Amino acid sequence: MRTRFSCSLLILTLFASLVSWGQAAKPQSIPQNGGDFSDNLQPVTKVPTGVILVKGAWSSASDSVTPLPEGGSVTNNVFINRYFGMSYTLPSDWTEKYKGPPPSESGRYVLAQLRPADTFKGSDRGSILITAQDMFFTPLPGTNALELINYTKDNLQADYTVEMPPTQTKIADRSFTFFAYWSPVARLHWYVLATQTRCHVVQIVLTSRDTKLLERLIFDVNKMKLPAEDSLTASTGGAVPVCIKDYATDKNVIERVDPIFTEHRFNSVPVRIIINKEGEVKHIHFLSAFPDQAKAITDALLQWKFRRYLSNGQPAEVETGIMFGRALLPTTATAASATTQ
Amino acid sequence: MIKTARVASVFALLVVLFLAGTAFAQTDPGVQSGNRGTGATIISPANDPNGFIAFFQDGLVRFQELENVSNAANVGLGPRFNSNQCSSCHSQPAIGGSGPAVNPQFAFAGSPVAPDNTTPYFITANGPTREARFPFFFNANGTANTSAANGGVEDLFTVTGRSDAGSCSLTQPSFAAAEAANNIIFRIPTPVFGAGLIENLDDSTLLKNQATNLNNRFGIAGAFNRNGNDGTITRFGWKAQNKSLHIFAGEAYNVEMGISNELFTQDRPLPGEDQQSTGLPANCLNLGGKGYPEDTSNPTSTPNAAVLDDVSAFANFMRFLAPPPTGGVVLNGSSVSAASIATGSSLFSAIGCATCHNPTPGTTQVSNFVPALSNAPVNAFSDIEVHHMGTGLADNVSQGAAGGDQFRTAPLWGLGQRIFLLHDGRTTNLITAIQDHASHGSEATTVEENFFDLNSTQQQEVLDFLRSL
Repeated sequence: MRTRFSCSLLILTLFASLVSWGQAAKPQSIPQNGGDFSDNLQPVTKVPTGVILVKGAWSSASDSVTPLPEGGSVTNNVFINRYFGMSYTLPSDWTEKYKGPPPSESGRYVLAQLRPADTFKGSDRGSILITAQDMFFTPLPGTNALELINYTKDNLQADYTVEMPPTQTKIADRSFTFFAYWSPVARLHWYVLATQTRCHVVQIVLTSRDTKLLERLIFDVNKMKLPAEDSLTASTGGAVPVCIKDYATDKNVIERVDPIFTEHRFNSVPVRIIINKEGEVKHIHFLSAFPDQAKAITDALLQWKFRRYLSNGQPAEVETGIMFGRALLPTTATAASATTQ
Repeated sequence: MIKTARVASVFALLVVLFLAGTAFAQTDPGVQSGNRGTGATIISPANDPNGFIAFFQDGLVRFQELENVSNAANVGLGPRFNSNQCSSCHSQPAIGGSGPAVNPQFAFAGSPVAPDNTTPYFITANGPTREARFPFFFNANGTANTSAANGGVEDLFTVTGRSDAGSCSLTQPSFAAAEAANNIIFRIPTPVFGAGLIENLDDSTLLKNQATNLNNRFGIAGAFNRNGNDGTITRFGWKAQNKSLHIFAGEAYNVEMGISNELFTQDRPLPGEDQQSTGLPANCLNLGGKGYPEDTSNPTSTPNAAVLDDVSAFANFMRFLAPPPTGGVVLNGSSVSAASIATGSSLFSAIGCATCHNPTPGTTQVSNFVPALSNAPVNAFSDIEVHHMGTGLADNVSQGAAGGDQFRTAPLWGLGQRIFLLHDGRTTNLITAIQDHASHGSEATTVEENFFDLNSTQQQEVLDFLRSL
């Protein structure tokens, strides 16, 4: 018994010393494929170029059918945004070279950014930037287009000079606030057109050194198609929910389930929801959220129950916003006013 | 005779037209070679009640020390590393800066620094000093597994074959295969001048600045990267992923030189070695022979500064390094006028560059280190936010809350003497760097368009201004 034990011990010792010797003298074997190593210089597929595969907080939605504010696109030289019911034929020789960034945690969208195409013949170029600010989440001091533009005017940097103060006008049969300023040093002019539609302030910012070009661009914008003001029916034919800021209060929420987060994060998560006529959440749109946050919040919101909202005595769908996570620091209102000329 | 005269006049006209074209074509003035005094300390010897200037000097010395694997004064290098000295990558135009014109990494392979190594294809004699990352792990068949994000640093060199590394033998990562799979990205060193001022900006200052900047007509938003533990704003590194200069130094010591320290306490395997639980081979561990961490405090040393561990000394060096002074600009052999540079500054602001590259995002809070860090304007030309920079610059690497296309607004102070531009050093030309700000999904596309809407003279003034920083 003892001999056998000694023999085993000896074998074990020899084995251990061999392993130890091996570690001391044997170089690292060629690593097998995987991880950081590969000896395949002709892989069948490559990581695609120009695609963002690793995203941080990003936009997403609970379904792929409901139009989203950021869902517009240029097709056959026409910019169409189903969410806003907007249709805009680009001026000739203009193009959307690059799509905009994803929505921000402050509710800012870049709907389209247009610039002259290579075939453009003008001496001075320019740009058309179409943005939207979700009024559920804006940290800016303003509740409508006029107030936001007034805030812009009152807080223009010293680089700029006002050419025309905020003025109410009609563009495409719709009320717009028009505001113009310029940079004397850059000799660039900014013509800003802003209107309020479906819980957002949409701004069309035209920029160029050539004011004649800007006037032509305004003329083109006038041909833009937008839904009629104060209408509950979008041009797409579907019913548009009633926009109500801060609707998800205790007064309206009958059943509330808190999301269960799996990671501790510190970002702001603005969420836009549509509540159906029965008081259930039928659509969830995350302007900016990590996937784990979106899942946790979706799981919770689908269990929420709201009071039915009545419009003219009839049940109606409601669109509102809820901010999860960190609240944004509000922009200080220095001189914003609701006056106009 | 008449024919000759006609030919001459046509030729003269062509010359005039050519010269006119030359005069109006904008040019990056390039790296400014004049000594601007960059690299000095922010501490005034006359106003240093606690004697921190000695800590700056000590950090400066250690920042330049050559690290060894074992049997020497400074040990702990490796077993994998990108360089053996902080200042080899942070030296342009002075110690603490960015990568130099002559790339020290190009000389490592085959030399005593990395004898049994080969030089990766992206390291060239006069190219940028770089680190490499694989955005994704490889599958066994050599393709990149886009469902398995990697993103960690793949150190370029190993200690294999070094006389002070014993029998440790490691294989370099598969850079050629990564290139073939389009699964490799690069980063260059960020200069650390003025870093103490950025560190001493209170979060509330940055948040107020962000709230003010939301009132812009350029389509710019932005967000902050935040520390996963306490939720405060992080600010150092290409994606603002590091909270403090201590963490910044500790991570770099561990990742770039393979030296474990009081903040990052183990030798670091490659991401795949870690993922697959193979780790580093036993004969590549504790090569310094002193145990872990390889860098510690030195309790018996004198004077005071010598007691600190290397990481603390590096942090102090960066903290007390003054911001880079501005200076004159020489373009095509002639000095650019101060008035022209001032116009360029105004243009830079007017067209929207300053929305992100904020000339002064704020003033520092009161410092417990030195008066020079208290209530000081931070003229960094950065909002310290991370912005979506689009598909053109995206590297598919996530760090903290920053995604694959988000980058911290690079501080522009010191830009006049920086050689390699953008996060991966892809260009030395400012115009290309500006162009690359525009792509699908970038917040800077409209501003880039504004720049090219300026006339040539104005564009030149912006470029001159940038090289004055």
